[in-house]
Amino acid sequence: MSAALPIPVIQLLQVLTVALGAPGVTGVIARVEARLQGRRGPRIRQPYYDLAKLFRKEALAPEQASWFFLAAPLIAVTCYLTIPLLIPVLTSYPLPLGYMGDILGGGFLLSLASFVVATAALETGSPYAQLGSSRAKTFSAITEPVVLFVVFTVALLTGTDLPYALAATVRSSAGQIIRPAHLLAAAALFMVILHETGRIPVETHTGTNEFGMIEEARAFEHSGPYFALLKWGSELKQLILFTILADVFLAPWGLASTQRAGAIGLAIVALLAKACAVGCVVAVIDNSFAKLRLFKITEFVSGAFLLAVLGVFTLYLGGA
Amino acid sequence: MSLASAVQAAPGVYQGFANVIAAVMLLIEFGMLRQALARDQVRLYAAQSALISVLAIVIAADRNLPDLYVLAALSAALKVVAVPLMLRRVLGWTGGEGREEEEPAGVAGSHTLSPASAVLAGIVLAAIGFFCFGAMQIHGPAAPATALSIAGAMVLVAFGLMIVRRDVASQAIGFLALENAISLAALVVASGLPLILETAFLFDLLVAIVVFGMLIRAHHARAESLSTADLTRLRG
Repeated sequence: MSAALPIPVIQLLQVLTVALGAPGVTGVIARVEARLQGRRGPRIRQPYYDLAKLFRKEALAPEQASWFFLAAPLIAVTCYLTIPLLIPVLTSYPLPLGYMGDILGGGFLLSLASFVVATAALETGSPYAQLGSSRAKTFSAITEPVVLFVVFTVALLTGTDLPYALAATVRSSAGQIIRPAHLLAAAALFMVILHETGRIPVETHTGTNEFGMIEEARAFEHSGPYFALLKWGSELKQLILFTILADVFLAPWGLASTQRAGAIGLAIVALLAKACAVGCVVAVIDNSFAKLRLFKITEFVSGAFLLAVLGVFTLYLGGA
Repeated sequence: MSLASAVQAAPGVYQGFANVIAAVMLLIEFGMLRQALARDQVRLYAAQSALISVLAIVIAADRNLPDLYVLAALSAALKVVAVPLMLRRVLGWTGGEGREEEEPAGVAGSHTLSPASAVLAGIVLAAIGFFCFGAMQIHGPAAPATALSIAGAMVLVAFGLMIVRRDVASQAIGFLALENAISLAALVVASGLPLILETAFLFDLLVAIVVFGMLIRAHHARAESLSTADLTRLRG
C-alpha cells in the first residue's frame, strides 16, 4: 500500500492538477474537434508549446495604458488558481481550506477575474478589446441570474451551499441523481459553461477576428507573457468549470476518499478523464450547431434560465 | 435546525423518473412556445405524446396495472402517429397545390412577444400552476406530487401558447398540448381509471382534430393565410 500524503500536499496537488492539466484538456478538445471535422488536428501538447513560446516573447503595452493593464492577467490567474482550493478536485472529504468559501465565493472569484480582464481591455482604447469587454459584461449580467438559481437549487437540495455537500448528496442515493431539480440545474449549469467558455452556440473560440467575438476579443492588446497568462487563465477557467460540473453535479465518483498517494493519483487521472469527456461533448456541440447571432444569445440564456427556474420550482413549490 | 434535517430526502427512483419525464414534457411545451415553424411544432407534439406513453409504461410496471400497457399503446398509435399525420395533411393542404412540404403562410412570425419574453411569461404561468397544484395537497397512493404540479404548469403554459401565437395552427397545437397535460394529470392521479373511459377520452381527441382541421381549412379559404391577425377587423 502506498504512503499517506499530508493534507497540505493534497491541497497543493489540487491546484497543480488544475494548473498543469488545463492546457492539456484544451488540447484534447481541439484534437477531438479536428477529428470530427475530418482534419488531423494539432498535437494534444500544442497548447503547452503555445504557452511556452509566448512566455519567451517580448511584452508590449499601449502607451496610454496604466499599471493595471499589466497587473490584470496576474490578478486573473491568481483568482483562477485560488478556486481549486474551494471545490472538490481530488478528494471527496473537504480539505481545510475548502471552507474558505462556498459556491458563491467561487463565483465571486470567477467574476473578479473576468472583471479585471475586461477593465484592462477597456484601458487600451482599442475598439475590438472594448467591444469584447462591453459584450462580455452585458451577457454575463444575464447569465448571473441563472447561476444564482442553480445555487438556490443546490441550497434547497442540501441545506447548505458548499460544493462538497452537494457532491456527497449526489453520491448518497440513485434517487438523488434522477431528481428533476438536480438534472435541470446541471443542464442549466452546462449551458452557462458553454457561454462562459466561449463555445459554439455563443461564440467561435478559434481566434479569427470577427464581429461575433465576445470573450476572445478582450486579450487583443496583450502580448508576450501577459497574453500567455490570459490564455492560460481561460484554459484554467474552462477546466475549473468542467470540474464543478463533473465533480459536483454529474459524476462525483472517482474522488479519493483517503490520503493515500495511490488514491490521489487515481483521482488525478479520473478528474482529467472526466474533464476530457465533458470536453468531447462540447466538441460535438461545437460541430453540430451554428453560432447564434449576437442578438439571439438572450434566447439561449433564457433557455438556461428556464431550466434553472424550473429546477427551483420542482423543489420549492412541487416538493420533490 | 440541524444540517441533516434541512436536507430533503430524495423521493425514490420511480418517482424521480416519473417527475423527470413530466419535466421534459414541460420543457417540450416551452419548445413549442418559441418554435417558429408549424411542422416543428407538430414534431414536438409527437415527442411529447411519446413521452406520455413512456410514463404510462413506467407507471404500469411500477404499480402492476396491465391496463396501462394497452392505454400506452393506444395513446402512442393515436397521438404519436395518427394525430401528427392528420395535422401535417391539413397543414400541407393549406400550403397549396404541389407544395406539400412547404410551410403554410402566417405561422412563422405570428409571435406577439419575442421568444425570450414569451419564455419569461411562460415561467410566470408555470409558477402559478406549480403553486396552485402544490397548494391543493393531492396525495394519491403512489402519485408523484411534483408530476402533478408540472401537469398544472403545463395546462397554463398551453393556454399561454394559444394566447401569444396569432395563428390557427399554433392554437390547435396548444389545444392538443393542453390535452396532453390533462392526460398527464389523469395518469398521475387516477391511473386506475377503467380502460374503457380512458379510451373514450382518447377518441374525443379525434373529434377535436376534425374540428380543428375544418377550422384551419375554413380560415385559410377566407384569409389565404393561417394568421388570425386579419380577424381583428369586424368586416372584411
